[in-house]
Amino acid sequence: MPADPLTLGGRTFTSRLMTGTGKYTDFGVMREVIAASGAQIVTVAIRRVELNAPGHSGLLDALNWDALQLLPNTAGCRTADEALRVARLARAATGVSWIKLEVIPDARYLLPDPVGTLRAAEALAADGFTVLPYVQADAVLARALEAAGCAAVMPLASPIGSGRGLRAPELLRTVLDGARVPVVVDAGLGVPSDAAQALELGADAVLVNTALAEARDPVGMARAFALGVQAGRAAFLAGRMAPRAHASPSSPVSGVVALPDPEVPV
Amino acid sequence: MSAPTLSVNGELHPLRPGLTLLTLLRDLGVDPARVAVAVNNDFYPGARVPDRSLEDHDVIEIVRIIGGG
Repeated sequence: MPADPLTLGGRTFTSRLMTGTGKYTDFGVMREVIAASGAQIVTVAIRRVELNAPGHSGLLDALNWDALQLLPNTAGCRTADEALRVARLARAATGVSWIKLEVIPDARYLLPDPVGTLRAAEALAADGFTVLPYVQADAVLARALEAAGCAAVMPLASPIGSGRGLRAPELLRTVLDGARVPVVVDAGLGVPSDAAQALELGADAVLVNTALAEARDPVGMARAFALGVQAGRAAFLAGRMAPRAHASPSSPVSGVVALPDPEVPV
Repeated sequence: MSAPTLSVNGELHPLRPGLTLLTLLRDLGVDPARVAVAVNNDFYPGARVPDRSLEDHDVIEIVRIIGGG
């Protein structure tokens, strides 16, 4: 185990990049993307079986879950009660009690309901789930979710699937400041520099799906995100310089040699 | 009095006498091993769905895993 593992829900991981399985039509590409990303935590969704069109190839069979932590989500749930029901169905379907909790009443921006999320998180944590709630970058809410027993908090960078990057780094900073559980930036990351920025600020991990699935070369982008996450984490551990308002010469200011100016005719 | 019905994945389904959870799944063409099932507030892994009898107004959900983020 390297010196800097991510500990989440009582397990340790070497990768700080998590990926989803959405938007892939081809399990082969999805498998290659997950391998290239190095992700060890992989999300899936729960949906009703289409009774008029039964027969489907199983996503669960397409990946090696001995090597991956399965993280079912409650995407599509608009209320706390719906999320509780889907979480319990997810546990029954997978045998896994980890849940990425999403309570999202708003379809346009897919922004989470903080009150419903907290209520569902309390119930699920009490029911033995390892709860990872998707939230806005709100420090007060994050502390309440920690107190409710969540294993992590997952503030969004920008709206789901928008690829707009980290739009409110100052708010993320308030969530990171004093966090007692891992902070996983989820949603809206578009390019590896977005992931690097989140890790540089001190986020413990990021989760991406669309940025990989909709890249021209998903496998190449997965590799690039893995590097971005590693760069950001290394920079965070190394400690950034303090920004200054004005320039500060890197070379000594004394002992400057006075050379003839070639622009001036002799 | 209306005929007894179930809600199955949000749609009304007739409850004929003697219908059980396993016969319902078989009627629907669903392989239990690939799904999870809720009957009201009871949740079952597909491989361990009990052959319980069903009652008027039971709410049944049959779900599977798909790709998601």
